[in-house]
Amino acid sequence: MSDPIIQLEHVGVAFNAQLRVGSPRFWALEDVSLSLAPGDRLGVVGRNGSGKSTLLRTIAGIITPDRGRLRRAPVSCQLLSLALGFAPHLSGRDNAVLSGLMLGLRRREIMQRLPAILEFSELGDFFDQPISSYSTGMTMRLGFSVAMQVEPDVLLIDEVLAVGDTEFQQKSGDALRERIHSGKTVVFVSHGDAQIRQICDRALWIEHGRSVMQGPVDAVLAAYHAAPSPSLPPPAGS
Amino acid sequence: MRLHLVELILFSTYAELRAERARSYLGLLWWIVEPAMNMGVYYLVFAVIFSMGGPDYIPFLLIGLTLWQWFKSCISHGGYSIWQQLPLIRQVKLPLQVFPSVQILADTVKFLCILAILLVVLWSTGYPPNVAYVALLPVLLVELIFVAACTYVVAAVVPLVPDLRFIIEQVLQVVMFLSGIVFSLDGLPPALRRWFELNPIVELVDAGRGILMRGEWPDWFALGRVALISLALYALGSLLITRLTPRYVKLPT
Repeated sequence: MSDPIIQLEHVGVAFNAQLRVGSPRFWALEDVSLSLAPGDRLGVVGRNGSGKSTLLRTIAGIITPDRGRLRRAPVSCQLLSLALGFAPHLSGRDNAVLSGLMLGLRRREIMQRLPAILEFSELGDFFDQPISSYSTGMTMRLGFSVAMQVEPDVLLIDEVLAVGDTEFQQKSGDALRERIHSGKTVVFVSHGDAQIRQICDRALWIEHGRSVMQGPVDAVLAAYHAAPSPSLPPPAGS
Repeated sequence: MRLHLVELILFSTYAELRAERARSYLGLLWWIVEPAMNMGVYYLVFAVIFSMGGPDYIPFLLIGLTLWQWFKSCISHGGYSIWQQLPLIRQVKLPLQVFPSVQILADTVKFLCILAILLVVLWSTGYPPNVAYVALLPVLLVELIFVAACTYVVAAVVPLVPDLRFIIEQVLQVVMFLSGIVFSLDGLPPALRRWFELNPIVELVDAGRGILMRGEWPDWFALGRVALISLALYALGSLLITRLTPRYVKLPT
């Protein structure tokens, strides 16, 4: 087994609950440990508010842990974000460039990929219209097409697997699954068992910001569903 | 990595200017009309109603306001830029200096348009171009560094204390009057004026007026001092943003 590229040891992350002097901090992650090797496809399960999204953003390097250790080999991690930095008055083309730059692409690279983005998004002449004239579905199609151009070492996905109408859902889902199965390292957060089974080869269960179990998908999902729904944790600061 | 950020800043600036054009009927015309109206108001109040100044008052006021508005608009746009981009900052990892830099650059483009018009106005009212114009470049460069430095510091602090937004406009108003933009500081006793000159804006505006109105070379020593202060403040502002970045993403939504 190859060395882990990302390793979390007893990581905790605290947020400010309110903008008030002396307001208590709220621990979204209490104690999470995980290790990710190249090519791993890790599914993260947990109930609402268990800290799944915070975990993804911590792995992405957006959030710095307040305690514990996070070790990352020099790899690029990217949260799959649709319509990142989109500006309503700009054309689809300009937004594709802007969003691509924010996602870490060089301008030259985006220019080369514009034809592919135009084709995949099926926007046709709308590509040069301001996106304020787009429907939600069209914006999502553009956002997805841009996001698919970024090729990070570790792809982080928060629920979004497919967007748009039924037809585009099929197409975007296929494109993403193809990407995932091309040997990419993936962390995938989802409520859907079926999707986790389909995509992941390992699973992590977190509850109240603590990692409960990590292992083969079936075993983790079985344990997760067998566990009684836990009571809510006490509010922060009490 | 660095080049990628330069591309991002330049393209975002273009996007920002494009968006501004799209947000109103008159679009780009407002770049000129709004500051012109603002100058008109000051002219009406101080030159016409209070009949301030002497013959040189109009160029004195126009140059002062042009240089001041550059500073002010950078602070009021760039200073809030990180705070306004918090939702984006939670999604993607970027050096946050990008956001104030984009606003500074966009406001600098607008400033240069106004400066061009100011020069035409000055030439056609008896203040012709002169050899000291050469010094305009270093003066503007130092002002750019100073403007960027102040904007960075404000941009770093506002996300943590958004209440500052209610104070900044008032502080800017006071600083404007203390910087000799509308009133000449020449009437002050020399002992007091020395204190006012510690304000970098006073030095920069004085230098600009000297060049454009009287063909005087700037006080290089004073300009160098302002440049050093500005560079130090710029480094501090940038460091603050970097150090505080982990805290911004943990602020309540």
